[in-house]
Amino acid sequence: MAAVTYLEAIRQGIWEEMERDSSVFVLGEDVGIYGGAFKVTEGMLERFGEDRVVDTPISESAIVGAAIGAALMGMRPIAEMQFADFISCAFDQITNFAAKCRYRWSAGVPIVIRGPSGGGIHGGPYHSQNPEMHYVHTPGLKVVTPSTVYDAKGLIKAAIRDEDPVVYFEYKFLYRRLKEELPEGDWTVPIGKADIKRAGSDISVITYGAMVHLALEAAAKLANDGIELEVVDLRTLVPLDKERILESVKKTSKVILLHEDVRTGGMAGELAAIIAEEAFEYLDGPIMRITAPDTPVPYSPPLEEFFLPKRSDIIRVARQLAAY
Amino acid sequence: MPSNVIMPQMGESIFEGTLTKWLKKIGEPVKRDEPLFEISTDKVDSEIPAPASGVLSEIRVNEGETVQINTVVGVIAEEGTAANPAPVNAETKEASKPPAAQPVLEEPAEESKPEPEPPTPASRTVRSSPLVKRIAREEDVDLAELEGTGLGGRITKKDILSHLSGRQSTDVPPPGASRPQVSSAARSMAGSSEVVPMSAMRKSIAEHMLASRRTSAHVTTVFEVDLTRIVSIKNQHAQEFLQREGSKLSYMPFFIKTVAGALKEFPVVNASISGTDIIYKKDVNIGVAVALDWGLIVPVIKNADEKSFLGIAKAASSLAERARQKKLAPEDVQGGTFTITNPGVFGSLFGTPIINQPQVAILCIGAISKRPVVINDAIAIRSMAYLTLTFDHRLIDGAVADQFMSSLKTKLEQWEEPLL
Amino acid sequence: MELNRQTLLDMLYYMKLTREIETRIERKLYRQGKIVGGVYVGRGQEAIAVGSCIQLEKDDCICPSHRDMAAFLIRGITPREIFAQYMGRKTGVTKGKEANMHMGDMRRGVVAFVSMLADTIPVAAGIGMAYRMRKQDNVVLCYFGDGATSRGDWHEGLNLASVQKAPVVYICNNNYYAYSTPLEKQMAVKDIAVRGAAYAMPGVIVDGNDVIEVFKATQEAIRLARQGGGPSLLECKTFRMTGHSAHDDVKYVPKELFAEWEKKDPILRLESSLLRQKTVSEDAVKKLAARITREVDEALAIAENDPFPDPAETLEGVYADQNVEAPLAFANSFFSQER
Repeated sequence: MAAVTYLEAIRQGIWEEMERDSSVFVLGEDVGIYGGAFKVTEGMLERFGEDRVVDTPISESAIVGAAIGAALMGMRPIAEMQFADFISCAFDQITNFAAKCRYRWSAGVPIVIRGPSGGGIHGGPYHSQNPEMHYVHTPGLKVVTPSTVYDAKGLIKAAIRDEDPVVYFEYKFLYRRLKEELPEGDWTVPIGKADIKRAGSDISVITYGAMVHLALEAAAKLANDGIELEVVDLRTLVPLDKERILESVKKTSKVILLHEDVRTGGMAGELAAIIAEEAFEYLDGPIMRITAPDTPVPYSPPLEEFFLPKRSDIIRVARQLAAY
Repeated sequence: MPSNVIMPQMGESIFEGTLTKWLKKIGEPVKRDEPLFEISTDKVDSEIPAPASGVLSEIRVNEGETVQINTVVGVIAEEGTAANPAPVNAETKEASKPPAAQPVLEEPAEESKPEPEPPTPASRTVRSSPLVKRIAREEDVDLAELEGTGLGGRITKKDILSHLSGRQSTDVPPPGASRPQVSSAARSMAGSSEVVPMSAMRKSIAEHMLASRRTSAHVTTVFEVDLTRIVSIKNQHAQEFLQREGSKLSYMPFFIKTVAGALKEFPVVNASISGTDIIYKKDVNIGVAVALDWGLIVPVIKNADEKSFLGIAKAASSLAERARQKKLAPEDVQGGTFTITNPGVFGSLFGTPIINQPQVAILCIGAISKRPVVINDAIAIRSMAYLTLTFDHRLIDGAVADQFMSSLKTKLEQWEEPLL
Repeated sequence: MELNRQTLLDMLYYMKLTREIETRIERKLYRQGKIVGGVYVGRGQEAIAVGSCIQLEKDDCICPSHRDMAAFLIRGITPREIFAQYMGRKTGVTKGKEANMHMGDMRRGVVAFVSMLADTIPVAAGIGMAYRMRKQDNVVLCYFGDGATSRGDWHEGLNLASVQKAPVVYICNNNYYAYSTPLEKQMAVKDIAVRGAAYAMPGVIVDGNDVIEVFKATQEAIRLARQGGGPSLLECKTFRMTGHSAHDDVKYVPKELFAEWEKKDPILRLESSLLRQKTVSEDAVKKLAARITREVDEALAIAENDPFPDPAETLEGVYADQNVEAPLAFANSFFSQER
C-alpha cells in the first residue's frame, strides 16, 4: 500500500471498521458534508449515507449523550470532538454517564470519543489543549494516545472494537507531518500495551503522543555522546502498561518522564509515583519530569515555544542525569 | 431473638439525633412498623416505626437525649420474655454495634510485625542511591570502601558494578549489557572447586531445616497402607474428572482429605508448642510440599477439614500451578498446621522427613507400587505404599502417633467418600 | 393498546403497588435504619409513569427518573429486586453498586439514570436514533422533572431529538418543586409545554393526576413517534406530596397546597371512578389491596434476608476486560518478600 499520513491512517481505520460492522457510525460537527474540519471523515457520507455519518448541531454534550444511548442499544458510535479542547462541554456525559454504566448496572457503552489535541500549530488556549488527564482520572474510561501512523490506525480500530468507552486523542501536529507505509489486511494495535520505540541502556524516556518524536530526535543526538536513551511510548494511558514501564526502568535505573501536557496533575506525576513505589530499589538517580508549565497554552509564537518542551531540554536533562 | 432498635440516619450529613418521645412503655407489646418513638434532627422531625414485633424490653436512651446514629436506643424482646427495667444511668453516648441491616466492617486482623531486617552493610554517610544500596546489601559490599565517580563523589551503579567485577578473577561483563546478573558476579574459580553463593530460598531452607532438628524431638514411625481401593477409584474417575474439571485427578487429594479427618480425631497432631504451652489450632491447614526447579515450597490448603474432595482437589492443583509459575501470595504459604510431603513420586520407598516448624508432625508418602502381600493366608497383588509420620516426641507419644496413623490407614484402605 | 377494563385494572394495580412499596421504603425501612443513604419517592405522581409506560411493547425502552417506580415495575423489575436494591444487597438490581432508584437493565429496556438527571435527555435521543437507523418502529419514553428542564443537556437533547426526528416521548413530571425551589423561581414561562414549540415538537399539557388523560396523551405521542413523526413533549402537571427526599421536612410548602392536592390523589380518582361506573366492585378493591399487601410482605421478607455483596466485589465490573488493582496490593507483597 502507498504511504499514508497519520490523518489518513485514522480515516482508513474508521472506514475499514464501518465496512466491517454496520453498527459502527460517526457523529459530530461538520463530519458529513464537509468531511470533518480536518478531513478525517472525507468521503464517508457518500459511501455510508446520512444515517451513518451524522452532521449534528453544536452540542458536544448531546453528541456524547446520543452516542451513549445508541451504544446502549448495541450500536458502536464514534463521536468526534472537533478540537479535543471542546470535550470539556461533554465532561459530565463522559465521566458520569458513559464511564460508570458498566460498574453501576452492568451495561456496556462501546463508544469512541475522538478529537485532535496538542499544540505547536499556533492554536492558542482553545485549540491546543491536552485534556487527557481529566479522563485518565475517571475510572471506567480507556484513554489512548497514538504517536505514529501505524499506531493511529491500529488503535482506532481497537478502540472501535472495544466494549468500553474509549477516549482517543489524536495529535494534530502529527496529522500531515508523519507518513508511513502500512501493512495490508485487517490488523489492530492492542489497547493497554506500551511500545519501545527505541531500545537503550542508559535512561528510560517515558512519553506519548507528539513528544515521542521529540524524544527520538534527542536520542539520535545523544547517541553520538555515548548516551543511549530508551524511548518508551505509552500509547495507552489507561489501562497503563505498568509491566513494560517497570521493565525498562529496572533495566536503565534512570528515568525522564516527558509530555506536552501541563505539569501539575499530568501523567508524569502518576508515573513518578508508580516508579518510586514499585521500582525504588532500582533507581540510580531522581525521577525527572519534562513538561509544559502550569499555564494555559499561549498564542504568540515565542510564548508557545517557551511553553512546549524542546529537544534541547531533553538533551540537557539527559546529560545531567547520565552524569549524576 | 431480641431486636435492637436504633437511631436511624435521616439524611446524608446527619450523624446524630435527639430522641424526643417514646410512644411505648417498657413491657408494652409492639407490632412491627407501628410508631415506636419520635426523633428530632437538624433536618427533620420524624416518627420512627418499630423494626420488629414483640415486647419493648429495654429503653437505653431516654427522652431528650441526643445520641449518634446507629446507637441502640432500645430492645424489643420476643413475646413472653420478661422485660428489663430501664437502667438509671443509661450508657447512651457509646454507639453500639449496628444491626444486621448494616454490614459490620471488621478491621482485618493486624498483620504480625515483620521480622526486623538483618543489618545491612554499613553505608554510613556515603552518597549513593537506592539501587546501589540494594546491590551493596545483596553482595555484602561496604560502600565506605568505594570511590564514587558520580556527582559530588556519589557512588554510582557503574562504580559498584565495576567494584564487583574487580572482586572476581575472570571476565568482566561487557559494558552496555542488559542488567547484569549481580548475584553471579561474585563467582570465583579457586583450585578444583567452585564457590557459588546460595540463593535466598536455599539459605532459608538450610536455616529452617537445622533449626527444626534443634527444636523438636524427631521420632519416625512407618506404616504400610493398602491403596488398591483408592487406585481403583482414581482410575475409574480419572476420565470424568479430567473432562469436568480440566485437570488430572491425582492421589494427593485422597491423602489430604483423609489426613484432615484424622487431624480432627487427634487434635494434638494439629497443635504446636510455645514454651511449655500446647497451642491447639482450631483450623486444619494442610501444607503440601512442592518440589520446584529452584527449591522447595509448601503451599497451604486452608480449612481442609471443611472442604469436599472436589474442593481439596481444586485447591491443591491451583496452588501447585501457582507455585510453579511463582505466583503464590504470602497467605498461600502461611498458617499451615500440618504438612504432607510426597517423595514417592520420585521413587522413594519411605522417608524420615524433618518437621515443618512450628508444627509437630509431618506425613511422608512413599511410592505406590504393586507388591505381593498376604491376605487371609493367600498371596495377593496389591498396590501398597509406606506412609511415615515424623512427630515431635515433646508433645506426641508413640502410642498416639501410631493411633493417628492407624486411623489414617483404615480410612485410606476403606475409602468411602464420593469424589464429585 | 386499548383502554379497556383490563388496562384500567392493571393501571390501578400498578399505582397501588407503587404506593405500597414506596410507603414501606420511606416511612418504615428508612426510619428503621434498614435503608441508608437517600430515599426519593413519587407519592401522588404515580399516574404519570403508569398511564404512559403501560402501553409499551417489549422492545421499547424507558429512561425513567427517581419518581417513576411504577415504570420499573411495569417493565418487569420485581418488588423483591427493588427492596434488595434499596437495602444494598447482592440480589438488588445493581448488586449493591448503586443506591435507591439508580438502577437499570437493558434486557428489560430500562436505562439507569445518573444523578445529573437531565443527562438522559440526549441519551434518549440517541436510543431513538438507533431505532431509526435500524428501521425499528419502537419508541423510548424519557421521564424527568421540572427541575431537569433548566439544564443545558435538556435543551441540547430535545434539539437533537427533534432535528433527527428521533422516536422519543419526553414526559415531564412537573410536580411544581425542584427540592425547595418552586416553579416560578425556576423559569419565566408558566408552562413547560411551550418549550416544545422551540424544538418544533408538540408540547402538550396533561393533568398528571388523571391516569386516563396521561394514557391518552402518551398514546398519541407514541403513535406519532412510531410513524416517524419525531418526538413530543408532554407536561404532566401534578404535585410532589412529600419532601424532595425522605429527610426533607418540606417546611417551605404551604400546608394548604398539600390539602388541596390530597383531594386530587390519582389512585383515589381512578378507584372512585371505577367504582362509580361499576367497572369494579368494593369487594374486588378490597381483595386487590390485600393481594398487594401480601405481595409486598413476601417480597420484603425475602429481600431482608438477602446477603450483602462481598467486599472484594468493590473492584469488579469497571471494565469488560481489565482488572482493577487493590491499592495496597504492592505494599503487601513488597514487604513480605524474601531479601
